Formats: sequence, structure tokens, C-alpha cells
Amino acid sequence: MKKHLVLTLVALLAASVSFAQGRRGLRINEIMVQNDSNVVDDYGQRGAWVELFNSTFGPLEISSVYITDDPAQPKKYPVPLGDVNTEIPARQHVLFWADGKPSRGTFHMSFTLRPGQDNWIGVYDADGKTLIDEVTVPANLPAGHTYARKADGEEGWEVRTGLTGSHITPSSNNIIRDTNVKVDMFKEKDEQGFGMTIMAMCIVFTALLLLSVCFYLINRIGAHISKINKMHSHGLAIHETPREERPDHDSSEEIAAIVMALHEHLNSHDQEQTVLTINKVKRAYSPWSSKIYNLRELPRR
Amino acid sequence: MAELSFSDFLMQNLTQFWHLTGFYNATWQHFVMLAVGLFFIWLAIKKDFEPMLLVPIGFGILIGNVPFNTEAGLEIGIYEEGSVLNILYNGVSAGWYPPLIFLGIGAMTDFSALIANPKLMLIGAAAQFGIFGAYMVATAIGFEPDQAGAIAIIGGADGPTAIFLSSKLAPNLMGAIAVSAYSYMALVPVIQPPIMRLFTTKKERLIKMKPARAVSQNEKIIFPIVGMLLTCFVVPSGLPLLGMLFFGNLLRECGVTTRLAKTASNALTDIVTILLGMTVGASTQASEFLTAETIFIFFLGFMAFIIASSSGVLFVKLFNLVLPASKKINPLIGNAGVSAVPMSARISNNLGLEYDPSNYLLMHAMGPNVAGVIGSAVAAGVLLGFLA
Repeated sequence: MKKHLVLTLVALLAASVSFAQGRRGLRINEIMVQNDSNVVDDYGQRGAWVELFNSTFGPLEISSVYITDDPAQPKKYPVPLGDVNTEIPARQHVLFWADGKPSRGTFHMSFTLRPGQDNWIGVYDADGKTLIDEVTVPANLPAGHTYARKADGEEGWEVRTGLTGSHITPSSNNIIRDTNVKVDMFKEKDEQGFGMTIMAMCIVFTALLLLSVCFYLINRIGAHISKINKMHSHGLAIHETPREERPDHDSSEEIAAIVMALHEHLNSHDQEQTVLTINKVKRAYSPWSSKIYNLRELPRR
Repeated sequence: MAELSFSDFLMQNLTQFWHLTGFYNATWQHFVMLAVGLFFIWLAIKKDFEPMLLVPIGFGILIGNVPFNTEAGLEIGIYEEGSVLNILYNGVSAGWYPPLIFLGIGAMTDFSALIANPKLMLIGAAAQFGIFGAYMVATAIGFEPDQAGAIAIIGGADGPTAIFLSSKLAPNLMGAIAVSAYSYMALVPVIQPPIMRLFTTKKERLIKMKPARAVSQNEKIIFPIVGMLLTCFVVPSGLPLLGMLFFGNLLRECGVTTRLAKTASNALTDIVTILLGMTVGASTQASEFLTAETIFIFFLGFMAFIIASSSGVLFVKLFNLVLPASKKINPLIGNAGVSAVPMSARISNNLGLEYDPSNYLLMHAMGPNVAGVIGSAVAAGVLLGFLA
């Protein structure tokens, strides 16, 4: 019973940790303070907006997190429960309107942003204490410009003008990629594939070499431990040499020579020719030749 | 409507039905693919070439190439969203069948040969040169780097890995890559022996290797844990394949999950193999499959296989230069560095016996063979990390 309780607690702890980890992937991604010519909301009106980005590779449910413009009031705008649209798909965005009209729906917050002033914006977790992300939008941000991360969810902010190369991207990626950068780089810098071959073979060799060295060491340690166990079972101390390795221990060849000498000395047979064959007796059994240890045999305790 | 006579009504419906039949919609490409499917089934049943793979793939090709009116909205084609075949194909396109197969491979593989003689792992690494040699050729031909990576993985001789990687890097080429990979795996007994003979001398083929020591159960238990941690720390992108491979092996070796190991290595592997083989076969619809690219893919796959087998054998010869006389490795086990388990190890054994009837190389060849499985999964992880 106690064991089950511990397991359940561990499972619950793991679940809560993974949940918290997911929430920590939420990022403030782009902010517009004065919207004079940009995107309009469902009511056809322009207002300040805050874009949130799910930087994780799984969907992220953000209902019950808090968005605020005042660190003293972390619970200023709670994202409502029960709206399916509050689940942000992996690496996607959601736009919140800072129009002070929460009655207009889930994505309309209860505060507005102040042009000409620094605007601090923070996102708190459901406990209202854990700060997930924060940013201060500079006071000198011109109308129609946004303050945005250079790349989605990553460090580094910049002012975006809306001109070519400095696009304003509500509910969209801050960097619009139409090709795979990695592939393009390989295509440009490694046209023949030598670079890939050298790097990849080095990595493959390193991985297997590490494994190989690791198991070489485990082999050695294992052999040493078995030797110690064997000596203990023979009642010998670790520093003592096993009987078969002692210098006074007779080898099988020496025993055979003694037997032959005795045979010569004591031989009373003078008629017949005796042929003495000495065969080394060795263990024929090995797991490598055993039918029991075939490839599909499962070990049993 | 009233003007339509009963006979016209019958004719109209029969004509509509005729337009839905395979006979009406058939093209010569369909018949070519049906012939390919029949050839695979023939190879499997009559020639006993990897029947567990070629029968499902061959029949899958037949299923995927029955002509029908694709504009009728019948929801029967493998590429039609929501069709039964499409749902089954999700395991291939989303890449979750291959890790399940790896779970089974881990649960049925005894890594003793590798643990007893860890230096054999390097042969498995060397054979992966086939992948990257083919990558260079593919880029030279004009394939994009991600497509080249997906094609080159055929050189790993590992069907699940090839499917997994191509589903991520080049989904449009996956059918051709999968069929090519499995075809060459089935043809291991034909492709590898001439290469092994070409690069070895008679003296080298007669090298007898010492039987490796027995491996304790503790070592067998430590292997999957350390193996997973080490390889995945180096190449985290190989986690789905390597994680499942080593997990399956731990189920097998720990001694307390025998039931799970049996399920993973028998029932689960069989189920996934059936679904994987059949859907891969069915994905080779003539319109998608019969292209010039497919011919290039088969050519590159063949090259990758030859380079992989050759580099394994040549690496052993090179390795022998630094090994003491008593620890020389028979280069006939070099081919087993590709991960066609256990077929390529069997080839090493058979060829060894051909030159010396008392020289059993099977267990020695299993070392590089299973190292090849790990190596090709690591190589796939590297390609995924660089190109995805």
C-alpha cells in the first residue's frame, strides 16, 4: 500500500513538473502599442496587441495564466477557462488585444497600453506568482511599429517598422522562412558532401568508440570482481596468489614428465612397446558452442 | 428524369460502375507495379529471400496498385485522408512503426558478442561509410542535401531506420527508399559474398578467432542502460530508435520482464511488421513510384550497400595491422557491419565455413552486426540533426 502511494506521488510530481515545464515555454513575442494602420480585431477595430508564442514542440493550454501590465497586480487579466482556442499548437502564436474590453471575448484583455511611456508586460503562471515571461516596451516606440523578438521565442528584441526586411507579423512567425536554412547551408558550403561525411563519420565513430571503451572498462572491472569472488570462495585473501599460479605448483606438463620417468624406472615389461599419449584435457563446454544460448533464448532468473 | 427509360437507367448505372472498375482506370504503369509486386512475392516464396518482409511488401504493392477512380472520393487510396489504408499508413508517415520494430529488435537481440569483444563495435561504425559515401554521390547527381541524406540511409541496410529518416527528410521519396532498402536487404546473400571475396585473401579468410568469453548477466543489464545514455547523449536525435532498441534489450536481459520481452519480440514485432510491410508496399502507387527519381534511388541504394559492405571488410583489414597476431579479426565478418540482422552475420559464417569447415564465425559476426544496428541509428540521428 505504502509502495503504491509513493509511486502515485512520484507520478503526480512528474506530471506537475512536465505541466510546469510546458507553461514555461510560453513567450511574449511581439507587441504593438499604437495600432494606426495594422491588423483589426473581430469587431473591425484597431487596438494595441500582444502576441504570445508557444516555443515548445507540443500544444500548450494557456487558460488560467495571467497577463498583466503591472507587476504589483500579477492577476490583472486571467485567460478564461473553457475556450478551445486557448490551446496554442506547437510553435504557434495567439494574439491578445490590449483594449480594456474583456467583455468582447477571451482575447480582449482588461487593460490598455500607454503610448509614450515604458510598458511593462508580464505573463504569470496559474498560481499568480511564477513569472513566465516579461518584457518592457520602450516609451519611444513610434506608432505603427512593433517591439518584437528577432526570432520566435528566442532572446534578442528589435523595433519593427513594417517595411521590407522589418515586417510586422501579428499571429505569424517573426522570421518568415520559405526554405530549410540547414539544408541551404549544406547546399552552399558543402556541395560535394565531404563535410557531412567527415563530421558524421567522426560522430558515429565517437559514439561507438565511447561505448566500446566503456564496455572494455566494464569488462576489466567485471573480471577483477569475479577474480576477487573466486578467491573469496577458495578462502584466500586478495593479495594471495591462487594455487595454480604459485611457483611451487606443478604444471600438468611437469606431472606428465614425472609419470613418464616413473614409468621408465619401474617398467617391468620388457616384451611390449608402450606408446604413451599425453592429451591436454580441456573443457569442451563453452556458451559459444552451446545450443542453449542461441540468439533468441531469453535469460531466466 | 421521367424521359429516362428503364434500359437507359440500367445502362447509365452500369456505365458508371464500369468507370469505377480497375479495368477502366488501368494504365501500363499499374501493370508494371503489379508485376513488381508479384516478383517480390515470387522471390519470397520460391527463393526464400526475406519472406517476412517481401510477402507483406509484395502484397502491399498489389493492394496499392489496383487501379481505381481517384476522383470518385471513395476514400480507399492510401493517400486519401481518412481511408483505412491512410490510417494504417500513419505509422509510416509519422514515423512511429520503426521505433516499435526497434523495440522488438532490441528484445530479440543478444548483445553478448559485442559486450565480450567491444572493439567489434568499430566495424559497425566503419560500415556506416556506405551511408555517407552514397550521400556524396547523391549530392553529385543533383539531389538536395535532405533528399540525399534520406536516400543514403539505405546503405545502413536497416529498413525501419530508412523509413524513419525518409519520413522526416523526404516524405515524397519514402516509398521508393523503403522498397529499395528492403529489396537490398533481401538480396544480401547475393550482393555481399562477391565483395567479401574481392577484398580478402585466402589466408585472411582462414583466420580463426578465439571464442569470446562468457558474458555475465550483470554486464548484459548494464549494456542497454549505458548504451542508451552514451549514444543518445552524443546524438539525441537518434533517441526514438536508440531509446526503443536499448529499452527492448533491457526488457530481455533484466530477467524480470520476460513476458514483456516475449511480447515485444514476437507478437508486437509481427503485428508492426505486417502493417509496416503492407503499407510501405501500398505506398508505391504507380503515379508516385514510377519516376526517374526512383531509378536513381535504386542505383544509389545499390551503391550505398556495396560501399558499406566494402568499407566494413576493408576496415577489418586495416584494423588487423595494429592488432597482435593472436587477436587478428577475420575480415569476413566486416560485411556484418551493415545492420541486416542476422542475415549478414550468417553470410560471414557461411563464407567462413566454405574455406574452413571448422571456422564458425557466426557469433563473432553478430558483434559488428548489432553494432551496425546501433551505428545506423546513430547515423540517422546525425543526418536528422544536421538536415531536419
